Amino acid sequence: MDLKDIRYYVDDRPGEGVFRIRRDVFTDPELFALEQRYIFERTWVFLALDSQLKQPHDFITTAIGRVPVLVSRDAKGKIGAHLNVCRHKGTTLERIESGNTKYHVCNYHGWGYDSAGRNIDIKDRQAGRYTPAFDAEDHDLIPLARLANYKGLLFGSLSADVPPLEDFLGDMRFFLDLAMEQGPDGMEFVPGRIAYTYDANWKLQMDNGIDSYHLTSTHTSFMAVQERRRVGAGHQEARQFDWQKRFSQEGGMFGFPNGHSVIWLNQAEVTKRPVYSSIDAVRARVGDARADWMLKMRNTVIFPNMQIADSTSLLLRIFRPIAVDKTEMRVFCMAPVGEAADIRAWRLRQFEDFFNVSGFATPDDTVVYEDAQAGMAATQVEWLQGYARGLGARHDGQSELAKQMGISPAESVQGPFDIQTETGFHPPYREWARLMQAGVSGRRAYG
Amino acid sequence: MGDPKHNSDEQAADCAMANAAYLAIAREVLEREAVWLDEQRWDDWLALYTEDCEYWVPTWRTEETLTTDPRAELSHIYYASRAGLEDRFVRIRSGRSPASHPMRRTAHLLSNVLLEGTPEEHAIAVRSTWTSHVFDPRHKKSELFFGHAHYRLVKRNGEWKIAKKKTILQNDYLPSMVDIYCI
Repeated sequence: MDLKDIRYYVDDRPGEGVFRIRRDVFTDPELFALEQRYIFERTWVFLALDSQLKQPHDFITTAIGRVPVLVSRDAKGKIGAHLNVCRHKGTTLERIESGNTKYHVCNYHGWGYDSAGRNIDIKDRQAGRYTPAFDAEDHDLIPLARLANYKGLLFGSLSADVPPLEDFLGDMRFFLDLAMEQGPDGMEFVPGRIAYTYDANWKLQMDNGIDSYHLTSTHTSFMAVQERRRVGAGHQEARQFDWQKRFSQEGGMFGFPNGHSVIWLNQAEVTKRPVYSSIDAVRARVGDARADWMLKMRNTVIFPNMQIADSTSLLLRIFRPIAVDKTEMRVFCMAPVGEAADIRAWRLRQFEDFFNVSGFATPDDTVVYEDAQAGMAATQVEWLQGYARGLGARHDGQSELAKQMGISPAESVQGPFDIQTETGFHPPYREWARLMQAGVSGRRAYG
Repeated sequence: MGDPKHNSDEQAADCAMANAAYLAIAREVLEREAVWLDEQRWDDWLALYTEDCEYWVPTWRTEETLTTDPRAELSHIYYASRAGLEDRFVRIRSGRSPASHPMRRTAHLLSNVLLEGTPEEHAIAVRSTWTSHVFDPRHKKSELFFGHAHYRLVKRNGEWKIAKKKTILQNDYLPSMVDIYCI
C-alpha cells in the first residue's frame, strides 16, 4: 500500500452520494504509527478539566497519544502542562494520577521540579564535576507547545502549529457550552475512576459515540430491561430514559471543520434529564434557546479522541490509542459544581446504569468493537459500507436550524430518528485524512 | 462451681463455639452465592438476597483510596434494593446482549472468610477474599478479577440472607466488560 496517498483510505465524495472507509484504517500498524505522529502529536488533545486543579500545586497526569503529560497549577495559581518526563534519564517523573505537591522529585536520581515545571534541584550537583556545557543546558520540564482553556476544558498540543483553540473548536463551541454551562459555578468530574481497555482500534469508539443506528440492534437487551421498568420493576432509582419514546423524535447531525461532529435528538422525557431539576435557573442564566438545547440528547466527537455524551446523564470520555488493536477508555461523570445531593445521587445511578463498563450498554458496545476488529482481518473486504446512512438528506453549509442557533456548521442532516444518520462520522475521517495527508506529504498540519 | 476463672473459661469456650457455628453458617451462604453464579442459577442466587438488600461495588477514588459514599461518588455498581440485581438477569436472559452471549464461564473461589464483630442471633457480619476466573469463549481469552467483600447476613423467616454486600474490586483497570457474575 502506498502510504503517500492517504486519500486512498477515505473515499469522500458526498456530492456524488459516496462516503466510504477502507478497513485498513482500523488494522494497519503503519497507519497507526502515522496517526501518532501526524494526528495526536500535531493537534489539540483534551487533557483535563480546570476544576480538577483547584488549588495551587494540584496536579493530574495524563497522556497525549503515547506521550506522558503532567498538568499542574503552580504556586501563583497558573495552570501549566509539561511532558511528564525527567530531563535526566527520561524517566516518568510524576507517577500518580492526581494529587497536590510543591515539588515533583524523580524517584530515579532525585532531580526535583517545582509545580511550574522549573528544575529546582539536581541532586549532589556541586560534587558532580559537571561541565559548563551541562550548566548551560535548560533542565526544566519541557512545556507543551500549546495549552489553552475553553470554559473549563483544558486542551494541549505537542505542536505549536495549531490554530488558536477557539478557532480549532469553531462553532462546536456551541455544543461544548451546552455541557459546560449546566452549572452556575462550572462543572466537575464526580470522584471515582472508571478505566478500561478494549481489543480494537480507537476509531471504533470515535464512530460509536455518535452512532444512533446501533441502538436498536446492539442494545436490544437494554430495551428488554426497560420493558420491565416501565411497569415499575427493576432499577427504578436510575429513572432511566425509555428508548422507545426516543424513536419517534426528530434529530440530526452537524459537522464542523477540524473533525468535530455532533448528533442530536429531541427528548421526549425532559423530566428524566438531571439538568431539568434546575432548568428555571438554567433558563435565567443561559436563555431559553440554549436551555432547550441542553434538554435534547447530544453526542459529540471533539476530534481526535474526546467525546461528550449527554444522552443519559452527562459523560466525558477519552479514548486513547494504545496499539492498532487496543484502546484505553477513561470515562468521567460530569456534573455541576455544588449540585443538590439528591440530584447528584440520581445522576450517578443513571450514569452507572448506561455508561459504566459494568453497566447495561457499554459492555455490549465494547464487545462488538472487538468483533469488528476480528472481522476486519478479512482483507478481501476493501470498503466498509457503514458511512452511508443519511447521505441523501445531507445539507451542505448552514441549514435553517443552524441559522436559528447562530452556528455555521459545514454540513448537517435533520429528520426523523429513523434516518439514524452515519454522516456524523464524515467530519472526523475527513480531518483524519487531511492531517495524515499533510504529514506524509511533509506539509504543515494547519495553515 | 463458684470458681470465677473456671466460669470465664467456660464462657470463652461457649463463645468460641458459637462463633464457629456462626462462621460455618456464613461460609455456607457465601459459598452458595459464589457457586450459584458459576452454575448460572440466577434465581437461586437472587433468592439469597433480601428484597431490601444493598449491593455495592465502589470505584477507587485514587490509586490507593476507595470512594466511600455511593450517593456522592461513582460506583461500578450500586443498588439500594434487589430490583437492580434482577435487571442483570433480564438482560442476560434476553439473549440479545452481545456481551452476554455466548455466556462466559466462571470459577469463583473464596478464602479468608472471617467474622467481623460479634454475631447476633439474627445478624452476622463477615468478610471474604475472592478471586473470579472468567473465560470468554467468543474471544477465547480468560480474565481474572480479585478482591475482597464484606457482607451483612440476616436471618429472615428462619433463613439466612444477604442484606448487604460491598465488593472491593482490586484490579480496576478493566477489560472490555464486567458483569455481576464476573466479580
